[in-house]
Amino acid sequence: MPVKEKEPLIMHPRPSSIVAALYTLRDLDTDVVILHGPPGCCFKHARLLEEDGMRVVTTSLDESGFVFGGHDSLVEVLEKVIKRFNPKRIGIVGTCASMIIGEELHEAVTEVQPDVPVIEVEVHAGYRDNTKGVIIALESALASGIISEAEFERQKGLLKEATMVEKRHGAASKEYLEPNRGDLKFKVAGRLLELLKQGKKGLNILNAKKETAFMFADINLAVAETAEKLGCGPNIINMANLDDNVGLPKNRRNAREIKDELKQRGMELHHIIGGLDEYPVAGNTASRIISENYPDYDFAVITGVPHALPIDNIKNMELFSITNGPRQVVPLKDMGHKHVVVEIDLHPKTLGVNHIVESEFGATLREMAKDA
Amino acid sequence: MPKQIAIYGKGGIGKSSTASNVAAACADEGHRVTIIGCDPKSDSSITLLRGRRIPTIMDLMRQGEDIKEEDIVFSGYKGVKCVEIGGPEPGIGCAGRGIIVAISLLKKISKAIEDTDLVIYDVPGDIVCGGFVAPVKKGLVNEAYVLTSGEYMPLYAANNICKGLSRLEMTLNGVICNSRGAPNEENIVSEFAKEIGSRLLAFIPKDVLVQTCEREGYSVIEKASDSAIAGVYRKLARSIMARSEGKIPMPLDDKRLRELTRI
Repeated sequence: MPVKEKEPLIMHPRPSSIVAALYTLRDLDTDVVILHGPPGCCFKHARLLEEDGMRVVTTSLDESGFVFGGHDSLVEVLEKVIKRFNPKRIGIVGTCASMIIGEELHEAVTEVQPDVPVIEVEVHAGYRDNTKGVIIALESALASGIISEAEFERQKGLLKEATMVEKRHGAASKEYLEPNRGDLKFKVAGRLLELLKQGKKGLNILNAKKETAFMFADINLAVAETAEKLGCGPNIINMANLDDNVGLPKNRRNAREIKDELKQRGMELHHIIGGLDEYPVAGNTASRIISENYPDYDFAVITGVPHALPIDNIKNMELFSITNGPRQVVPLKDMGHKHVVVEIDLHPKTLGVNHIVESEFGATLREMAKDA
Repeated sequence: MPKQIAIYGKGGIGKSSTASNVAAACADEGHRVTIIGCDPKSDSSITLLRGRRIPTIMDLMRQGEDIKEEDIVFSGYKGVKCVEIGGPEPGIGCAGRGIIVAISLLKKISKAIEDTDLVIYDVPGDIVCGGFVAPVKKGLVNEAYVLTSGEYMPLYAANNICKGLSRLEMTLNGVICNSRGAPNEENIVSEFAKEIGSRLLAFIPKDVLVQTCEREGYSVIEKASDSAIAGVYRKLARSIMARSEGKIPMPLDDKRLRELTRI
């Protein structure tokens, strides 16, 4: 019998599969999600997702719910949700508590018989990879005919890659990762200005996960603007994962919004390396483009998920990475990224927006360029 | 779609003996049979496997094995497919969650519960929590049977099970009397069955042969195939395989139940 290679224990807290399911339901344009579980479960993300227009409610299971079951509460909340929000699409998401006691989400749906589609996601947070939450949500969306088989397979392939990216150089790469604020933005921006002024040739790459691109793009925009201002615009090649023809509805919409704004603010995109949900594989496309066209460039600014860009073709360049994960600093340094900057709390600021949001690093660079 | 049955009854009343003998009898008649042991004690299939204990799904999951069908589905007497779910040590963890996880794994990696004529879920006597009704709630059981003797406590348990079934809107397809030698037992159980809206499917007399065969690791169907008791199990197996109408049971109140056992 083949024994699975025992996966090493990882001690630092990591993203939750339940939360991953919630974000997926948002990308599927779900109007209201019912979390079947205790009132505080996923509170922070539930609240944030409301900024994106999706309502999240809870069945508020308590001690008595754990003991006697939560079916009646789920029925009650489902009925109330239909009445109060008049949703066109509903999600029901499990939690650790409700899944352990064996709650059947489908029973409540059968009882209430809503006349709009309901995506039932039987998920808890006990999966090693949080992408499992996305897969379960998509399976359910596929079963209710909301996405096509082709889109499901595409997403599944991307999620597998995303998991691999995290295992190789990301949050799942070590038993314990120390959180780290990264290098001082002031110093890193100073070095970047120096290179620009010296007329060095640079790559300016956006490879961001979904809506986080609303802020990461600001950094690439600041780099492009600064180069333009210093008269070295042509030295910079811009690439971004902003293909608006792929992905779930929200991701396409956001790619279009960011692309239009960049264009309108004077930034030309030389290469599109994929869609907003293709961050685990878009780095490979970028890597190929680099090896074919820009192997001898001096530096690269990579925002979003810099660790998804294979190091081979950029290892001789001076690398500037901008991430939003304090636990991503050490792995990026280990990979050979010289400068690593953290945009702390970036994600919450990119919810509920449809325009580029100013970043600290972008603001620092612009401010310093004034005196350059 | 195969016939998917669960046999319920008070702990120790003889569910596993009945399940394995019915499985063996059905296999004798050429039916493809799968038996799923849902009790953490994992002893449902032992008499179909000549006393051999098979690894349980939970054991393998605990060890972090990459589980394949052949690791958990074992061929027993006349090709009966045997699966044991197993569970944690008594008093540790959550056996109910174990059943949920094991059933979904089994569905994913094996056709044993689809590609067959009869699936028997041998469930523990006490449905202590949500996990233990997972096979019913997940639509994997379409017929339920209650096993009881004519004594008060087993009948009380049987009646309670009927309450559970009616709450789940699950039909009952028959009552089986596993005799403990109580006076007037067949009449009592037959009357109980009638009053809850069902029927007495079989009266299994107390026979030491069942225990003797089990101790050696056999069903009576295999080890004492010409015995009278083997004949009783064969008849029961035929009634189960015959098309039967189930009805949602109407449980009795405790007063009536006490009266019944005084007949």
